[in-house]
Amino acid sequence: MLAVDVKNIKKTFISKQDTVEAVKDVSFQVKQGEIFGLLGPNGAGKSTTILMITTLLSITDGKASVLGIDVATKDKEVREKIGVALQDTGLDNLLTGKELFFTTCRLWGYSKKDSEVRTDELLELVGLTEAADRRVKTYSGGMKRRLDLGLSLVHSPKILFLDEPTTGLDPGSRRVLWDEIKRLRDNGVTIILTTQYLEEADELADRIAIIDEGLVVAEGTSDELKAGIGGDVITFAFENNVDLENAKNILKNTVQEKNELRITVEDGASKIPGYLKDLSSKGVEVSSVSASKPTLDDVFLEVTGYRLEGSEDIKQAKEESKR
Amino acid sequence: MNPNRSFIVQLQILTKRMLLRVIRRPLAELPNLIISAFFLFVYDGALGGVFGGNASGTPFDFAKGNFINFILPVSIVSASLSGAASGIYLVEDIESGVFKRYQSMPISRWAIILAPMNVGALRVLLQSGLMLFIGIIIGADPVVGSIGYLVVLSIAFIWGMGFAGYSVAAGVKSGSSQGAQAATFLFFPAIFLAPTFVPREALKGWLETAAAYNPTTYVIEAMRAVMVDGWELDVLFRGYLAAGLFAALTLTLAVLSARKATEKA
Repeated sequence: MLAVDVKNIKKTFISKQDTVEAVKDVSFQVKQGEIFGLLGPNGAGKSTTILMITTLLSITDGKASVLGIDVATKDKEVREKIGVALQDTGLDNLLTGKELFFTTCRLWGYSKKDSEVRTDELLELVGLTEAADRRVKTYSGGMKRRLDLGLSLVHSPKILFLDEPTTGLDPGSRRVLWDEIKRLRDNGVTIILTTQYLEEADELADRIAIIDEGLVVAEGTSDELKAGIGGDVITFAFENNVDLENAKNILKNTVQEKNELRITVEDGASKIPGYLKDLSSKGVEVSSVSASKPTLDDVFLEVTGYRLEGSEDIKQAKEESKR
Repeated sequence: MNPNRSFIVQLQILTKRMLLRVIRRPLAELPNLIISAFFLFVYDGALGGVFGGNASGTPFDFAKGNFINFILPVSIVSASLSGAASGIYLVEDIESGVFKRYQSMPISRWAIILAPMNVGALRVLLQSGLMLFIGIIIGADPVVGSIGYLVVLSIAFIWGMGFAGYSVAAGVKSGSSQGAQAATFLFFPAIFLAPTFVPREALKGWLETAAAYNPTTYVIEAMRAVMVDGWELDVLFRGYLAAGLFAALTLTLAVLSARKATEKA
């Protein structure tokens, strides 16, 4: 049985001012025991998709099920099977970590005695035993994320939804959380996570769906996605715009990124001398050239027309790519 | 483990958690307490000399010799407005995302909404009870005997729950704790467009008309009946009716707005 089965779900928000299609058409399947990553920029529709599957938002059209249970008609049953740590689910800053775990354990049906035992287990699991009696408002960002993760594990769910679990964390805290997520997967928990970090998707996800503007634009393992581009990526860098513009007219099928041109070809290393010869014969000076295997960033560029990482203003990038 | 706990158990757990939040912020309890006690001491100090024992035998002897008995209901009504904190508690949970967390769990949405109202009710009882206690210390003595305190407290409770419902409806509608807080603005017309300092017969013009339409008038008059005049059943009935109708109206509004807030978008 599939852990999650999503078929052509859509979400349209209608207000007096306007109508927004946050999710236009999203389909994917998640097998039990895998980490599935939804990769995309802010506003792509990742969180809305997760909110629909976790029963917190209605589905405008399409179908979604968790362990074969329909999320639209059997929301309570679905909630019993899943754990969620979403951007929208907050923490009570006035309570201590221990009190939060205990309250959540009680709400999930543990007796007082069992709640105490489970609280201690979870505090240890997420490394918060020493901070257990401190109020949550004194926790660092990384500690809060670990607490959030721990709270989503109280009832030992088979399926865990994590919405941008490491956004805003320093590299060290991010690494700690990644290790924890991998450990959960190794213990048989299915994890569906959203991220806007390519490195995170590459490191964690067994399979990835790239979402852009409410649509799944690519899906597969990281290697499959990279192989889908075909060949190697050759990157030419130029010191001035004149050389860059001239090179664009000489090289075919290039993608520009700042002062660089990228071209994807089979067996890239062997083709570099030929390209350089063409360019120098026309007086174009190349400041550096390299060939590499495609990264997820290259995949993202290929399927969306813009880069995810380093794109400070994605909307602007999108508009430029459409021109 | 049984996630299908009863509604009552869920409500108990969530109420306890909400109480912990209140205990962690003791200073938040002070403003309403101070205002209520301020009314009692200042009005007694300013007007007690004129309308208290010295008014005996004059047309101004509406306090029948004990002005504390007459003015205490104003402080109790003021203390009962502490129920309005329910809306603030609920909206704080919505703003912080804690509400969403509970929604993602298989627990009753009504338990999530009723928990802050439970704590609001407890707040009303504690603050009103404390005002009664202060009143007793400085000389309150209901003409119907000690049972008068229970009557006063019960009316205050119903009235306070009316404000709790009002603040929940206003808070959920506005979607912010500031919105819920702003709703307590109703406090001023409720208290001052009523026979606060003198009986209704002594009011005149527009204030007399406004007081006739203000349910607070009937609440204060019912409390004063048992404190000053005795078992005036028609006055008591009107007091319970005014408080009851107000509470029924605002709690219905609270339920409707809360239902909308917990529906899936």
